[in-house]
Amino acid sequence: MNQQDRSLSTLTNGAAAAALVAAAFGACAMGLIVLLNEVGVFVAPTLYAPAGGVSGRTTIAVAVWLIAWVVLHRRWHDQDLNMRNVVMAAVVLILLGVAGTFPPLWGLFG
Amino acid sequence: MTLFTTGSLWTMFHGLVLGGGVLFGFSAAMYCMWSVRADNHNDASARRRCTHLGRLTILIAAMLWVIVFIGTYVNYPAYRVTPPEGTTDLSAYPRALLRANPDTAWLHSFALEFKEHAGWIAAILMTGVAFVINRYHTALLTKPPVFNITAGFVLVGFVITAIVGLLGVFVNKVAPII
Repeated sequence: MNQQDRSLSTLTNGAAAAALVAAAFGACAMGLIVLLNEVGVFVAPTLYAPAGGVSGRTTIAVAVWLIAWVVLHRRWHDQDLNMRNVVMAAVVLILLGVAGTFPPLWGLFG
Repeated sequence: MTLFTTGSLWTMFHGLVLGGGVLFGFSAAMYCMWSVRADNHNDASARRRCTHLGRLTILIAAMLWVIVFIGTYVNYPAYRVTPPEGTTDLSAYPRALLRANPDTAWLHSFALEFKEHAGWIAAILMTGVAFVINRYHTALLTKPPVFNITAGFVLVGFVITAIVGLLGVFVNKVAPII
């Protein structure tokens, strides 16, 4: 086994899982923040008046994503995770995120 | 009549240059992933293509971030300007123009409202992809489950970007920023 093969065999999938699940979590956060804003439960602060509330909503979602990435990376980077669970989590989170930004669904919660 | 206004130039840069460019980038990345998927990680060609793929995904993520920042902080403010009381010619006020006509109101209530946030999701997802591809490089070829989920993220990012871009074309066709 050469040096490259050894480094490949010791490289765990945890960092990849953390990056991808955190990204999916960020997508979900975006959808949730938009949905909560539309039903009047949570109104994100406007950070740039000409752009309105979207500036606050997107900034919060990006912050949630980055925090999730740091936390998950620190916990998982040296572990080998079951990628089946990672896929399931990512699919569910991304679907929730996209659904939350889909205007026809807002009426269901309003 | 002015052929290009500042607003129209920003819109073209946002949609045509960067939006069109990033869709080309997605196509190249998907082809690259498909072509390298079954290669041996020790193969020189696979190593070279993984390097290209890594650079390409960084470029895609960077372009998506520039697109959403321009869209949110340059184009959207110009789009949502409220017309003064009594204004009858709404051509300089895209949002008001769309909402004034029941046939085009959906372009704001659906297309723009979706576009406003969904593009950010694509940027977030592709940043994760760029990290994974550059960190793992050819090791990705020895981990098919990680490779497959990463490829899935690229596909999702492409679909979201394409839909968002198409909705932008519709909005700009009816109510361009001038």
